[in-house]
Amino acid sequence: MSESSPNFSNRFPFYGPQGRLVLVDSALEAVSRGSTTIGIKTPKFAIISSQIKPTHPLIEPSEKIFSIDFHAGATGSGYIGDILQLIDALRLEAQRHRLTYETSIDIDSLAKHLSTFLHNYTTYAVRPQAASMILAGADQTGIQLYQVDPSGTFFRGSGFAIGQSSEIALDVMTKEYRTDMTQEEAIELGEKAIEKALGEKPIVETGVVTQNSFRKLPLEKTWSITPY
Amino acid sequence: MTTIVGIKTNDGVVLGSDKRASKGFFIGSKIVQKIARIDDTIAVAIAGQLSDAEYIIKVAKAERRLVELRRGFALTVRESARLIANIAYSGLRNYQPYYVELLVAGVDHEGSHVYAADMSGAITEEDFASSGSGSPIAYGVLESLYNKEITNQQAKEIASRAVAAAMERDPGSGNGIDLLAIPNMIQEVRA
Repeated sequence: MSESSPNFSNRFPFYGPQGRLVLVDSALEAVSRGSTTIGIKTPKFAIISSQIKPTHPLIEPSEKIFSIDFHAGATGSGYIGDILQLIDALRLEAQRHRLTYETSIDIDSLAKHLSTFLHNYTTYAVRPQAASMILAGADQTGIQLYQVDPSGTFFRGSGFAIGQSSEIALDVMTKEYRTDMTQEEAIELGEKAIEKALGEKPIVETGVVTQNSFRKLPLEKTWSITPY
Repeated sequence: MTTIVGIKTNDGVVLGSDKRASKGFFIGSKIVQKIARIDDTIAVAIAGQLSDAEYIIKVAKAERRLVELRRGFALTVRESARLIANIAYSGLRNYQPYYVELLVAGVDHEGSHVYAADMSGAITEEDFASSGSGSPIAYGVLESLYNKEITNQQAKEIASRAVAAAMERDPGSGNGIDLLAIPNMIQEVRA
């Protein structure tokens, strides 16, 4: 307990000399290099959009917008393998709630579950998940939007941006956000924010939450020669 | 043994019960409480093994409180009934059934509800329901007096008559009537 050795190098690096969780910081750093991803919420709907990184003409890029249940969807930024893992945890929790209570899970409980899940990775000698997530959904309390970080920290709000140059994207959204936006305007604002952040026109995948459903928007397949 | 009834009304729900606890052919208690409030908006009437029912209610109470704290709003009556049924079902599947038949009644933002949950883990939503050894007699009264357009006040009268009739002819029921009415405040505020 009262060991006062300033030498951290022999020990498993939980806390750095500055008292920060270095593994969590590294995970956040990885997220900040991920594809730019945003979420926008108004009282009537929410949208989530993520940049799809073009890979190779022969390779289909990974899916970035995920349906969690009929009424909720999620997206993320960071390592896609980690994102998929978290998506599965969310889907499982949504169905577990259906089994227990026979109703759809509320978005706050989903966010808290993801937060707990991620927080577990910060307390043991394991690698924290390198993924920040944006959740959107509709429940008894209305339309909800959440961001959950690798540390387990989560926020509720009307606009989030994560991934590469997310500060720029969030800036654009903050300046042009209105509560009376139409769905089309919000989707356009999202694309614009991602475009400003990247400095070029991106390929973006989008999902929309309305009063009682989540749906993915069809992607115009502009990036590849579909090989099948 | 026992007679319990639950009635759904326009302005809430009403539960009724007798007060007898039987030990075979012996009356073990004459002042048993068979209606348990889970909180201000939901209550359960108990038929069957009292200890099993007490346990299930205790767990349901804790779970309801936890969910309300976590997500910020309470479980609906249906969610609560499903939760209770799941506990009952897990008992059945482990060859140690909870020997109970419960009437889960309450109010939420969707209105008033009466659910019948038994040891098999099934739940059914009813306008009115009865359970226990006196239930065939109580049902006779309920079937002839119930209609959809009644108030809590009228339902209390019907519930008490149903339990009274059962107590007259069923040796497992007797020693007085307990009634609980839960008004639907949510609806009243909206109207």
